[in-house]
Amino acid sequence: MSEAADLLDPEARDRPPDNQLIDLDALYRESGICGMLAGMDRELVGLTPVKTRIREIAALLLVERARRSIGFKAEPPSLHMCFTGNPGTGKTSVARRMAGLLHGLGYIRRDHVVGVTRDDLVGQYIGHTAPKTKEVLKRAMGGVLFIDEAYYLYRPENERDYGQEAIEILLQVMEDNRDDLVVILAGYRDRMEVFFRSNPGMASRIAHHVDFPDYEADELLEIARLMTADMQYRLEPEAERAMADYILRRMAQPRFANARSIRNALDRARLRQANRLFEARGSAIGATDLLTIAEEDIRRSRVFTQ
Amino acid sequence: MNYVSTTLTPDQKAGNAVVSDPKARYRPGVLKYRQMGYWEPDYEPKDTDVLAVFRITPQDGVDPEEAAAAVAGESSTATWTVVWTDRLTDCERYRAKAYRVDPVPGTPGQYFAYIAYELDLFEEGSIANLTASIIGNVFGFKPLRGLRLEDMRIPVAYLKTFQGPATGIVVERERLNNFGRPLLGATMKPKLGLSGRNYGRVVYEALKGGLDFTKDDENINSQPFMHWRDRFLYCMEGVNRAIAETGEVKGTYLNVTAATMEDMYERAEFAKELGSVVIMIDLVIGYTAIQSMAKWARRNDMILHLHRAGHSTYTRQKSHGVSFRVIAKWMRMAGVDHIHAGTVVGKLEGDPNVIRGIYDTCRETHVAQNFQHGIFFDQPWAGLKRVMPVASGGIHAGQMHQLLAYLGEDVVLQFGGGTIGHPDGIQAGATANRVALEVMVKARNEGRDIWNEGPEILRDAARWCAPLRAALDTWKDVTFDYASTDSVDYVPTPTTAM
Amino acid sequence: MRLTQGQFSFLPDLTDGEITRQVQYALDQGWAVAVEFTDDPHPRNSYWTMWGNPMFDLRDAKGVMMEIDACRAAHPDQYVKVLAFDSSHGFETVRMSYLINRPAEEPGFELLRSEGPGRRIGYTVRSYATGRPSGERYGGETRHGT
Repeated sequence: MSEAADLLDPEARDRPPDNQLIDLDALYRESGICGMLAGMDRELVGLTPVKTRIREIAALLLVERARRSIGFKAEPPSLHMCFTGNPGTGKTSVARRMAGLLHGLGYIRRDHVVGVTRDDLVGQYIGHTAPKTKEVLKRAMGGVLFIDEAYYLYRPENERDYGQEAIEILLQVMEDNRDDLVVILAGYRDRMEVFFRSNPGMASRIAHHVDFPDYEADELLEIARLMTADMQYRLEPEAERAMADYILRRMAQPRFANARSIRNALDRARLRQANRLFEARGSAIGATDLLTIAEEDIRRSRVFTQ
Repeated sequence: MNYVSTTLTPDQKAGNAVVSDPKARYRPGVLKYRQMGYWEPDYEPKDTDVLAVFRITPQDGVDPEEAAAAVAGESSTATWTVVWTDRLTDCERYRAKAYRVDPVPGTPGQYFAYIAYELDLFEEGSIANLTASIIGNVFGFKPLRGLRLEDMRIPVAYLKTFQGPATGIVVERERLNNFGRPLLGATMKPKLGLSGRNYGRVVYEALKGGLDFTKDDENINSQPFMHWRDRFLYCMEGVNRAIAETGEVKGTYLNVTAATMEDMYERAEFAKELGSVVIMIDLVIGYTAIQSMAKWARRNDMILHLHRAGHSTYTRQKSHGVSFRVIAKWMRMAGVDHIHAGTVVGKLEGDPNVIRGIYDTCRETHVAQNFQHGIFFDQPWAGLKRVMPVASGGIHAGQMHQLLAYLGEDVVLQFGGGTIGHPDGIQAGATANRVALEVMVKARNEGRDIWNEGPEILRDAARWCAPLRAALDTWKDVTFDYASTDSVDYVPTPTTAM
Repeated sequence: MRLTQGQFSFLPDLTDGEITRQVQYALDQGWAVAVEFTDDPHPRNSYWTMWGNPMFDLRDAKGVMMEIDACRAAHPDQYVKVLAFDSSHGFETVRMSYLINRPAEEPGFELLRSEGPGRRIGYTVRSYATGRPSGERYGGETRHGT
């Protein structure tokens, strides 16, 4: 744009010169999000579409910050999000990482996540809900408020449900306090869609939708390996094969909850291992025995008998 | 020292071994103190022992262990000669034990001698009894050229027999409705000569201007120019007028120091009748009188302010006397609420590390061993209330950032000349101090580096506060930059860290 | 008359930004922050009305600022102060206290003297405003309704 054109266009005059150089990479490094994104790639198994979405959001926020830094008009961007997916697909864990990203980029003042469900927000009688919701909001201020199974706030079957009051207060704060609070709603995708259809106000305030797919069987086995290592246990090779079988069977059964089901299976395997060692307490055992989850510790699960 | 010894082994003759055979031990005559059992390098102090560390400077030719044993002996059961009557007692138990001697770093000829005392050597709740042993005859003992009590560890068992501060920092603040900043005071000047009516005027102006407390000086008692009742009546008129004009609780330390306990009680009762929140005593009234007044103050909901008049005669020189940190410890046990404890930056003695150790001794619930601050022992305070230290002597508004950084929040900052000597009057002087204080606390809370930015913070406030501007202009160059005579011996790195 | 209770009464009235920084300081120390208000500012009135309980477990000052705004909006003509409570051993008391709102007109206090024998004088400090019932003091509350 020529200088003459600048003079004619009042908006252009307030704009910073077009030729100013921005070191986006320096901004990127200062924010510390580089390490966070790498950590996410390394520590979270699978979730490729989620990781891609998070990367896109991070890029958008980084550029937004660069624009702000040289004085481009920058309304505080709406950062409220919705994480949809089945249980155990990593929504809570990604929410924590998202708080870290937002904090690193300077969009929230503290990197805390306050996780709540309907019971934390909605009261039992008249006049109870507003103070409860406000109490939660006060605790969450400055960081991220994570509302799990957010659709339970809305119960169309009961006209006088107090959930609606909580929704109203949330909406107000989501609009008025964009600099102070990021709200992440989470839950099953289909139910969330129903919820948004009945609450268009809420839908319009959500800027980013992230869908969490179910894990594949091989990803779940990798998660099982990571979890055992994390608990300072080891799956012997036969146990690992048993775990792979277990996963295929469990996935086909009702109430399968992805990584959460794996965590539960491992907890029960530890219990069986402990019992096995206890029953054999007559003979001396070594450190390896305490570490090792054996094949039978997995195979004795009910999943194999049903 | 000449020692008579006839039937001793060569090693015992040399004076290096304990004489344990009772016949030899109690043969009439003189033994070395270490031979009598006052040097016990293997002794492990008990939790119930009173511990003391002395700086000893033995005379030429006296070896340090023997000197330490002598201090242990002379401050507990021993006398210069062997006495058979020891054998009527469980004397092993009552004998103080010197258990460690360290050379003083960088000072040849001086040693730190650690001595443990059995708890049963002391009467419960009596500073007089404790001190009669620990700093009794022993300080005149000829074989020592100098002796200084550096620190003590009072066992919890003994602490619990003392009342401790009558009021304590928390209750004092709740009564005064004053939180989150140092308290501000001023000593009335001139020290002597004002009539009661004129004196009360100074109190009124200073409190109205923004101070929380005013203070009698140590030697204001009941002299011909102003008798005590007159002073109390005019002061309380000033205090109450200032309360009504500001809506704040205020007080003036009415000095009840007098010739007899009867006089002091009479004055204290009158102060109470007039509604004063605080009375004052001087250190020179003696430990027993201080404990009596502390009990009176506890019974009568009165804050007890102690002016440490006289202490420098024995606290200041490092070679001989008693360290002030020990006096501060005794005074917390005796039960005072305020004690003058040094300013670092003002006109009176005060090395930053030494002062830090003294302030910790007054204010902490548990003081950890810290040689850099002159604290030789861990000292748990067993629930005795905390004492408010008072910083007074040659300080002014321009030093506010240093005072807050060095001394913290629970302290009375006492500006006498720095209030009354203000060019625009007493009220302006008080306001300058109050504004400087508030602006500095606010900046500190906001996370600003007050140590470095302090002067700038004060200058900014002086733009809208004329009294502060005048104060800064008047006293801008006043500092008292002299080397301290009482400093710490360990790791003498200059530090300003608080 | 200007009531000078609290930590910062000799300074110009704190802005919202300055209040936020003081609140954040308290939260960073781990203290619970409370809001209280009164129309009886006697220096020995220890119990102002609590605007809710002290706020525990907050990390960011914004949560407190919401309550401060609400309290000031509800009581624009009363004294409002912010307190910080420290639960740690050896303190267990208020660690901060500062005014953040005051009435437009502050009539102050009257000093009553009762003379006794021996030149003794008994002093009583009385707020001029408390001559009227609570809710009608400082002129404002009737204007704003209750």
